[in-house]
Amino acid sequence: MTASGVLIVIMAVLFACGVYAMLERSLTRVLIGFLLLGNAANLLLLIVMGAPGLPAFFGDGDKDDFSDPLPQALTLTAIVITFAVSAFLLALIYRTWQLGQADTVTDDEDDVALRAPDHAAEEDALDDEVEVEDADDEISSDFIDVSTSPITVLHHVDHPAIDDDAPTDTPDAPHDPNDKGPDA
Amino acid sequence: MSALIPLLVMLPLLGAAVALVAGRRRRVQIAASITTLTAVVVIATILLGAVDASGTPVAVSVGGWPIPFGIVLYVDRLSALLVGVSAVVLLAVLLFSVGQGYADDDDDTPVSIFHPTYLILAAGIFTAFIAGDLFNLYVGFEILLVASYVLITLGGTESRIRTGVVYIVVSLVSSILFLAAIAMIYAAVGTVNMAQIAERMAQLPASTQLVLHLMLLIAFAIKAAVFPLSFWLPDSYPTAPAPVTAVFAGLLTKVGVYAMIRTETQLFPSSDVNTLLLIVGLATMIIGILGAVAQAELKRILSFTLVSHIGYMVFGLAIATPAGLGAVAYYIVHHIVVQTTLFLAVGLIERRAGSTSILKVKGLMRAAPVLAVLFFIPAINLGGLPPFSGFIGKYALFDAAAQVGTPLMITLIVGGIITSLLTLYALMRAWNLSFWREDDEPDEAEIETLNRVAYLKGAPAAAVETERRAIPKIMTAATAGMVAVTLALTVFAGPLYDLCARIGAGISQPVHLSQLDEEAGK
Amino acid sequence: MLILLAAFALVPLLLPWAVRLMGARAFYFAALLPAVAFVHTVLQAPAVFSGHIPFETYAWIPSLHINLSMRMDVLSWVLTLIVTGIGAIVLLYCRWYFVGHLEGVGQFSAVLLGFAGAMYGLVLTDDIVVLVMLWEVTSVLSYLLIGYYHRRGASRRAALQALLVTTIGGLVMLIGVVLLVIQAGTTSLSGIIAHPPAGAVVDAAIVLILVGALSKSAIFPFHFWLPGAMAAPTPVSAYLHAAAMVKAGIYLIARLAPAFATVGPWRPILLGLGAFTMLLGGFQALRETDLKRILAYGTVSQLGFLTVVLGYGTRDAALAGMALLISHALFKSCLFLIVGVIDRQLGTRDIRELSGVGRQAPVLATASIIAVCSMAGVIPTMGFVAKESVVGALLHPADGWDTVALVGVVVGSALTAAYAIRFVWGAFWRKKNTPVTPWPVPRAGFAAAPVVLAALSLGAGFAAPVMDAALARYADTMPGAGHAHLALWHGWAEPALWISLTTLVVGAAVFALARVIRWDERRRVLTFGAGDVYNAVLRGIARLSVAVTRVTQRGSLPIYVGTIFVVFVVAEGTVLLATPEWRAQLDAWQSPMQLFVAPLMIIAGLVAVRARKRYTGVVLVSVTGLGMILLFATSGAPDLALTQVLVETVTMVAFALVLRRIPSRMGTHNDSVWPVTRAVIGAAVGIVMAAVAIIATGARQAVPISKEFPELAYQLGHGKNVVNVALVDLRGWDTMGELSVLILAATGVASLVFVTHRADLLSSLAALPAGVGRSRQVLIETADGRSGQSGEAQGQRAWLVGGRRVRPAERSIMLEVIVRILFHTIMVASIYLLFAGHNLPGGGFAGGLVAGMALVMRYVAGGRYELGAAAPADAGRLLGAGMVLAVVTALVPLLFGAAPLTSAVFEAEVPVLGHIEFVTSTIFDIGVYLVVIGLVLDVLRSLGAEVDRQMAEEVAPEEVAS
Repeated sequence: MTASGVLIVIMAVLFACGVYAMLERSLTRVLIGFLLLGNAANLLLLIVMGAPGLPAFFGDGDKDDFSDPLPQALTLTAIVITFAVSAFLLALIYRTWQLGQADTVTDDEDDVALRAPDHAAEEDALDDEVEVEDADDEISSDFIDVSTSPITVLHHVDHPAIDDDAPTDTPDAPHDPNDKGPDA
Repeated sequence: MSALIPLLVMLPLLGAAVALVAGRRRRVQIAASITTLTAVVVIATILLGAVDASGTPVAVSVGGWPIPFGIVLYVDRLSALLVGVSAVVLLAVLLFSVGQGYADDDDDTPVSIFHPTYLILAAGIFTAFIAGDLFNLYVGFEILLVASYVLITLGGTESRIRTGVVYIVVSLVSSILFLAAIAMIYAAVGTVNMAQIAERMAQLPASTQLVLHLMLLIAFAIKAAVFPLSFWLPDSYPTAPAPVTAVFAGLLTKVGVYAMIRTETQLFPSSDVNTLLLIVGLATMIIGILGAVAQAELKRILSFTLVSHIGYMVFGLAIATPAGLGAVAYYIVHHIVVQTTLFLAVGLIERRAGSTSILKVKGLMRAAPVLAVLFFIPAINLGGLPPFSGFIGKYALFDAAAQVGTPLMITLIVGGIITSLLTLYALMRAWNLSFWREDDEPDEAEIETLNRVAYLKGAPAAAVETERRAIPKIMTAATAGMVAVTLALTVFAGPLYDLCARIGAGISQPVHLSQLDEEAGK
Repeated sequence: MLILLAAFALVPLLLPWAVRLMGARAFYFAALLPAVAFVHTVLQAPAVFSGHIPFETYAWIPSLHINLSMRMDVLSWVLTLIVTGIGAIVLLYCRWYFVGHLEGVGQFSAVLLGFAGAMYGLVLTDDIVVLVMLWEVTSVLSYLLIGYYHRRGASRRAALQALLVTTIGGLVMLIGVVLLVIQAGTTSLSGIIAHPPAGAVVDAAIVLILVGALSKSAIFPFHFWLPGAMAAPTPVSAYLHAAAMVKAGIYLIARLAPAFATVGPWRPILLGLGAFTMLLGGFQALRETDLKRILAYGTVSQLGFLTVVLGYGTRDAALAGMALLISHALFKSCLFLIVGVIDRQLGTRDIRELSGVGRQAPVLATASIIAVCSMAGVIPTMGFVAKESVVGALLHPADGWDTVALVGVVVGSALTAAYAIRFVWGAFWRKKNTPVTPWPVPRAGFAAAPVVLAALSLGAGFAAPVMDAALARYADTMPGAGHAHLALWHGWAEPALWISLTTLVVGAAVFALARVIRWDERRRVLTFGAGDVYNAVLRGIARLSVAVTRVTQRGSLPIYVGTIFVVFVVAEGTVLLATPEWRAQLDAWQSPMQLFVAPLMIIAGLVAVRARKRYTGVVLVSVTGLGMILLFATSGAPDLALTQVLVETVTMVAFALVLRRIPSRMGTHNDSVWPVTRAVIGAAVGIVMAAVAIIATGARQAVPISKEFPELAYQLGHGKNVVNVALVDLRGWDTMGELSVLILAATGVASLVFVTHRADLLSSLAALPAGVGRSRQVLIETADGRSGQSGEAQGQRAWLVGGRRVRPAERSIMLEVIVRILFHTIMVASIYLLFAGHNLPGGGFAGGLVAGMALVMRYVAGGRYELGAAAPADAGRLLGAGMVLAVVTALVPLLFGAAPLTSAVFEAEVPVLGHIEFVTSTIFDIGVYLVVIGLVLDVLRSLGAEVDRQMAEEVAPEEVAS
C-alpha cells in the first residue's frame, strides 16, 4: 500500500508540535497540544486509508475504488473521544483557574518536600524508630509503666475460692504486712 | 453461553443509564450499581466454569458479522477470572464508598456523578478484559481512563486537581501512542482482529514486528506503571479519595499488565523482548520499593509498593514459560485483592485518625484493634510472608524462574527477595509508628524512675483515648470482606492455582482465527 | 496431626473473647490445646519406635507440589514433645504472670498459642516448602510477641529487628529451598534426605538454607537480635528464645545433617561459626547485669554449642546433640521462668539491686540451682549426661575443624560454668553493700512451673538409658558407625568426665576472676558490634532510598511526560537505526488538495504552540482541524468531514465559554522551561512517527479486511453508507463505548463545575421568574407570544423567554429574532441527518451535534434562562435515555438468539411516503443522537449557565438572590 509523503510530513509536524505543547506547564497549552496530537493521529489513520478513493457507498462504484472505510470508522470514534476528552479538559482548566487563578501545573509537594533541606528531620524520625540503641538494654524489668503488683498469697483477687493455707514457697514464714501489694 | 459475554459490559452500562435517569435518588442508584455488579460476578463465574471445563475460549462476533470482519469478544480462563475478581473488588469498594458517602454527609463524592461514572468504569475494565479486537481494546481503555479522570478529580479540591492533571496528561499521552500504534499495525497487516493480527504479523520481517511491538508495549507499560514510565503513579494516586485510590491501585494498573500479557502472548508471540522486560522488571521492583521506604505517608508508601510489585508481574511475564505465566495470573489476582484491601484499610485509618502520615498517627492498636487486624493481615500478605497468597505467588514465580535457571533469572529472584523484604520493612515500620506507638511514651531517660514508680504505686492507667471519628459499620464490613477474600486466596490456593496453571498453559498458545470462528459459530 | 494443626490455627481466634470473659484464667483454656497435643504425641511413641512412622498428608496446592504432610519420626517426635510440653507449661505460667494487667493480653494469648501451633507444624511437616512457610510464620508471630510492650520504643525496635533478621534469613533460605526442590524433584523432606541430590547447585542451595538456620538460631553474625528480643515478656522469652523458635534452626540442621553433613561448606560454616558463637555468648553473659540478658547470651552460647554438635555429622555427636537439645530446652526455660517470677515479684531483674532473695525463697532457689547445674553440666542432671557424651563424641579430632569444635566446646563449657555461677549468685546470694530485697511470697501456682521443669532436668538425668534407646534411632541415620551410649555414669575411666570436671573448676575460677577485675563494669569488648552493622545497613537503605527517589520522583509533569517520549524515541530509534534496510512505498502526493493544505496545517501547527494568546492558539488549532476537514472531504470520507466540522464548531464554543473567564494573554509564568529541549524531543517524536508510518505502510502485503465491507454492509447492515453501518452495526460495540465516554465527559464537566453538587436547577422551570412559565407555552406553540409583566423588560414584547432576564445592555432583538426563527428549522435538519445517516452522510452523531448547535444558539442569544426554557429535558435524563436505547438495541437480538447488535430490517408501504424501510440499528443511532444532545446540554449548563451564575455571584450576589 502506498502512502502520501506530504501527509506523512504534515503528520510528523503535527506530532512534533503536539509533543512540544504537551510538555508545557500551562494546561491551555497542554490542551492545544492534545488537540494537535489528536489531529495527527487522525491524519495517520487517513494515511493508512491509502490512496484517496470514492466515498464508500454501496453501489456507487466498484469496491476497489472505495477509500478504505475501516480507518474511517476508527477515525470517527477517535474524533468523538477526543471531543469528549477536550470538553472535560476545558472544565478542568476552568476549575484550576477558579482555584489558583492560573492554569499551570505545579510540582508535586511531597516530591519537592523530599528534596527540601528540612527533610532530614523526618528521616531521623524514621531512623529513630528502627535503629536499635544501647539505651534499649537498660530496661531491666517487664513492669515499667505497667500498673501491677507482686502476686502474694494474701490476694483473693484472681480467685476468691483459694484459701490462704495453700502450700506456699515458705510454709513457715509469718506473713509480713509490708508485703501487701498496693491493690490489697 | 456466548450470549453471556456482551452482558458483562452491557449490564453495567444499563446500570449507569438507570443511575443517570434516577437523578439523585440514591437508593435507586445504589440498588442499580449493586445488582449490576453482582450480576457480573455471577456471569463471570458461570463463564469461568464453562471455559475452564471446555478448555477453549468462548467467542462472540458482535452484530453477527463473520469473523474477522466484526468485533470479536472472547473470554478465556484468564479474562473470565480477571473479570470475576475485578467485579468482586468493585463491589466491595462500592459498598465502602457508599458507607463513606452516607457517613461523611458532605458531598465530597456527589453520588449522582459517582454511580454512573463508577459503573461505566467497570464497563470499561470489562470491555478491555474481553476485547478480541485491538481497537475495541483501545475503546475499553478510553472508557476506563476517562472514567478515572472523573473519579480522580472528584470533589475538585486543589490537590486533587493538581495530581489529577498529572494523571490525566500522562494517560492522554499513552492513549495517543496506543491509537498511533493501532494505526501503524493496521497499516502493516490490514486488520484489527487480534487473532488475525497475530497470524499476519508472523509473516512480517522481524524488525518491522519489533517496531510495532515496542510501540504497543510502551503504551501499555505507561498504564501498567513499569519503570521508567511509572513516575506519574505515586504522585497521582495518593490524593484521590480512599475508595477511588483503592480501585485504581487494584484494577487499573492490572488492566495495563493484562494488555501487556496479551501483547506478548497473543499479538507478538514470535517477537521476543523478554530480556528487556526482565531488566525493566527488576528496575521497577527495586526503584519502586526504595521509593516506598523513603516515604512517611501511608498512601504514598502503598503507591510505591504498587509500582514495585508491578515489577513482579513483568518479571513473571518475561519468564515466558507456561509456569511463569501461571504464576503471573495468580500474582495478579492476589495483588488486585490485597492492594485494594490495604488502600481500604488506609481509608479507615484516615477516617479514624484524621491523617495517614505515619509520623502523626499514633496509638491505633489500642484505639482500634479491629482496624489493626484489618491492616496487619494484608500488610503481611503484601510483604509476601506466609501462609498468605503473597508468599504462594512469590514462591510460584521464583520456582518458575529457577526452572529456567539463567543467571539473569537468579538475579531477578534476588531482586524479588530484596523487594519483598523492603516491602515488609516499610509496612512494619508504619505499623510500629502508627499502631504501636502511643502518645504517652516513657522516654528511655525516665525509665529507671518510672520503673520504681510503676512498681510502688502502679503506673498511670492506660492513656485516655482521644475522641476520634467513628467508622461506619459498612466501611469496616467492606474492608473485612476483602480481608476475607485475601484469606480465601490462601485457603483455596489449591484449586485456584490449578486454574492459574491451566491459564498459563492456555495463554502460552496464541488463539487462532479458526478457533474463534468455530467458537462463535456455536 | 493435621487436625491438631487446624485446631492450633482456629482456637487462638477464640482466646481474645475468652480473656475478656475470664481474665488471665483464660490461659488455662489456652494451655489445654498444647497439652492435648503433648499427650497425643506421647501416645504415638509405640508407632514411632516400632518403625511405622505416623504420616498424614493433604494435597494443598498440587500444581506447585505443596502438600500439608506431617511425618513424625524420632527427631520430630522429640521436638514435638519439647514444643508442646513446654508450650503448655509456659501458658499455665502466663495465667499468673499477667494477673492484674490484662491490656492487650487477649491478642497476646492468641498469638502465643498460634505460635505454639506454628512450631508444632514446623517440627512435624515433611514438606520443605511448608516448613519455610511455618518458619516465616514464627518470625511474624514472634514480632508480635516481642512487641507486646509496644509503648516502649525499645520493644518496638527490638521486635522489628528480630523480624527483619529472621525474615531475611528465611528469604535466603527460600531461594535455597527452591533450588534444592528443583534439583531433588520433590518437596518431601524425607524424600530429599533419602535420595539427596548432589552438585554445585545443591551445595549452594544448602549454604543458603544454612544461612536461614543460623539467622533463626541467633548464630554469629546474626546473634544480636536475640538479646534485643529480651524486650518480650519473660514467658515469651522462656518459650521462643529457649525452647521453641531458636531451636528451629537447630532442628533444620539436625534434619539435614544425615544427608548433607558431607557437603563441602557444611562443616566449616557450622563448626566454625558455632564454636565462635559459643565463646562470644559466654564472654558477653559474664558482663551482663540483667538476669534475663545473662540468660539471653547464655542461650546464644548454648545455641552455638548445639550447632557445633549437631552439625558435627557423626553418629555419636548426633546422639549427644539430641541429649543436649533436650536438656537445654528444660533448664533454659526453667531459668527464664524463675527470672520471670523474680521480676514479677520485685519489679527488677538487675543483679545489682537483688540481694538475699535465696533465703526468702528456698524452693525457687533450689529449683534454679538444679537448672543451673544442668546448664553447667554437673552430675546427676541431664546436662551432665549430655555434656559428657558430647565431649566423648568430639574427643578424637580427625581434621582441623574437629579440633576447632573440640576446643570451642571445652572452653565454652568453662565459660558456661562461669556465667551459670554468676546467675545463681546474682539472683539469690546476699551481697555486701546491697540491702536485702524484701520478698513478697508468690502463689504456689506461680512458682510451680519452674519447679516442675527443674525436676524434669534432674529426672531426665536418671532416665538417660531410656533416652539413649530413643535417640539412638535418630543418631543411627547418620553416616558412619558409632558405639557411644547416653548414661549418667560411664565410670571413672571416662576421660570426658575429667574434662568436664576441669571445665567446672576453670569456670568457677573465671567467675571469681571476673568479679575481681569487675569485668561487668568495663565497656564492651568490641566498640563495633553486629548491632551497629544492622543500624548502618538500615541507615544506608534509608539514605539510598531517599537519594534514588529524589532523582526519579521529580514531581514535575513536563519531566514525566518528557520521559515517556524520550523512552519512545530511544526504543523505536534504536530498532530503526539498527536495521540495515526497510521497504518503503511512497508517493510524493496523492491529490492536489494534499499539497494545498500542507503549508496551511504545518504553519498553523507551528504557530499555534508559540501563540501568546489563548484564543490565537485555539483558532490556529482549529485551522489544522479545517485542513483535516478538507482532506477528509477529498479522500472519500464525507462522514468524517461532516463530523469534524461539527466537532470543531462545538469545541470552539466550549473554548469560548471557558476562555472568557481566563485572561486571554498567557502569563510569563506559563512558559515552561527549556524550549529547545522540548523542541528537540518533539522533532524526534515526529521523525520517529514518520519513519514508523513509512515502514508500516510499506510492510502491507495482506488485503485489508475492509475490502469486503461494502457488500457485507448492504447485506447484513441493510445500509449503503458503509461508514455509518460500521458505526451503528459492524463496529457498534465501539460506538457504545464511545457513548459511555461522552456520558463520562458530561458527568466529569458537571462534577468539576458544580463542585459540590450535580443539581441542575435549570432543568425545571421552578427557577424561572413568575409568568415565564406561561409564556414558555407560547414559545413552544406559535409566534404570538403573550408579554409577561415581570422583569426589567417592562412592556416590551419578548421574542425569547430568557431574553427578559438578560440585561437590556446585553440584549440584541435582532439576534433573538433570528435564533427564534432558526431554532426549529435546525432541529428538523438534525433529525433529517439522524435518519438519512444510514444511506447518506450523516447519522446520529452528526444529527445530535446539529441539534446541540441549536441549543447553543438559544443560549448565546437568551442567556441561561433561555437555555432552561429551550432544553427538552434534564441532561442526565437525556444521557440516560440515550444509553438505554443503545444498550437495549444491542440486547434485544440476544433474546432471539442472535448476536448482540444484530440489526433487522422492517419494510412497509406507507400511503404518503411510499416505500419505507426501517432498520433496527436506527434506534441505536437515536440513542447516539440523544446522548450527544445530552452532552452538549450538559456542557452548556455547566460551562455556560453555571459559570454565568458564578460570575454573577462575584459581580453582584444580591441580584442572584432575587
